Parts: sequence; structure tokens; C-alpha cells
Amino acid sequence: MSDDEHPTDGDDAVVTDLTDPVPVDDVRDAATAFMSGLTDAFGFDATVSATTQDNEIELRVDGTGLGLLVGPGGRTLASIQDLARVAAQRRLGDHETRLRVDVAGYREKRRLALERFASDVSEQVRTSGAARALDPMPSADRKVLHDAVAALDGVTSRSEGEEPNRRVVVVPT
Amino acid sequence: MSDPQIDGDDGDGDDGFDAGNTALAPTAAAVLAHIVTSIVDNPEAVEVDASEHRGRVRLDVRVGPGDLGRVIGRRGRTAQSIRTVVRAAATRDDASADVDVEFIDD
Repeated sequence: MSDDEHPTDGDDAVVTDLTDPVPVDDVRDAATAFMSGLTDAFGFDATVSATTQDNEIELRVDGTGLGLLVGPGGRTLASIQDLARVAAQRRLGDHETRLRVDVAGYREKRRLALERFASDVSEQVRTSGAARALDPMPSADRKVLHDAVAALDGVTSRSEGEEPNRRVVVVPT
Repeated sequence: MSDPQIDGDDGDGDDGFDAGNTALAPTAAAVLAHIVTSIVDNPEAVEVDASEHRGRVRLDVRVGPGDLGRVIGRRGRTAQSIRTVVRAAATRDDASADVDVEFIDD
């Protein structure tokens, strides 16, 4: 339910449906230039690298002391990713690509931590037989938890509540 | 000390502000300028000015006609993301992390 899936809903909508798709490499290059310029403006000595697979683009920013770009709970990183999407996808009229930004491996570490958490919670739920509601978290984190729980026996998961208080509930099967 | 209105003033009446002094928060101003020039159609029209008011630094960013919508985004989402990142950048500046960002349509 990402905003990016509703490109014509809003005052910055551009009529691009009749045009050819924007080349993935163009979006990648625009996103890379945006991130390089951003780290320069912050005064960080960082490297930005991009990988693409089909229509998925992942930007990695590496360097030292980049915690400021991640922020508490990854909120600054989430904002930076939002802006990279505006600067690359929306500015070029692209609706096809998926763009993700990671800084200093934060998302990877976060994913591993969430997977461990999912495993621990699932074990508790299996043992107790009682469902457990987790703290509210962003949709990207919920997806990691759902995927992790789905790979385990004896438990399943669903989301409950409305944003921004939507949360994962792990239930025994 | 002059006390011009600071909120809700999206006009050009910046009397009383020390416009143009981005040295108040150079990192925040550079980050703001980079972000906004990266998302508008008319980057040449983007101007960033800084002023100080009651110990807070205010950054005014002006964009060309028609570009304000993309800078603000749906339900103000892009504007909020810009503020989050600019405030992070302001912690690199001596001034303070108290940075306001105002978006102005020329």
C-alpha cells in the first residue's frame, strides 16, 4: 500500500501513462547522483554503490560515522529513501522500479535482528499457546516478521490496527 | 528585537529577517539546497536563505512556479522527510539542532 503505487493520486501527478517506461539505468543513475550529493552536502566521506536486478534498485552507502544518516529507529534513513524516490522515480516519471536505500548495512542488520526476534517470539507462542501482539512497527519491518514467522512451524501471523499503530500478532496454529 | 511572524507566512514579506546568511547552519542549508534542487523541475529557481530567531535557525527555501507541489508531496510527506533530514544535518552545525524549514512558492 505504498504511496508510490498510486502515482496519479496527488498534486504532483504527471501524466506519463502514454509514454515509454523510464529505463532502470536512468533511475539508478539519478538516485546514485542524489545520494552522492547528499553525503557530500553532509560532509561525509562515503561511497555510494548501486545494484540493479530486473526493476529493483538497491543503493548502498558505506563509510564511517554514518549513523546520522540512519537516525533513531532508522527514521532518518526512511526519510532519505523517500526523498531518493522523489528525486529519481517521481522526477523522471518512473512507476516501474523498486528503489531501496541502505546505509552502513543498517537494513541488513535490522532484518537479521527482526528475524531473531520473530524466532524468539514464535517459540514463546508455541510453548504458551497464547497469541502475542508485538509493538507497532513500520510496514517494512512487519513484512520481515511475517516472512520469518511463515517459515516456522506451529505459528502464523497477521497485522492488526491502523497506521501508524499497525502491529504484528503472532498466533499459534 | 524585531519579532516578525514566522509561522504561516508563505509570502515574500521577509522584513526583519537577515536573509541570505546560510552560514548560520551551513550543513543544513547545503543539504536542504541539494535535496530541493534534486526534486524540482526548475533547480535554477531554488534559493535557500537562513535567519535566526529566538535562538532557532529558520531556513526559507523558495522554488519556482509549479514546483511547490512536489516539494510538499502528498499530505506533506515529502516536506516532512525534508525536515527530518535537514534537522539531522543541522547537528553537524554549531548553531543548534533547532532548525525550522519553510517552503515558499515564488
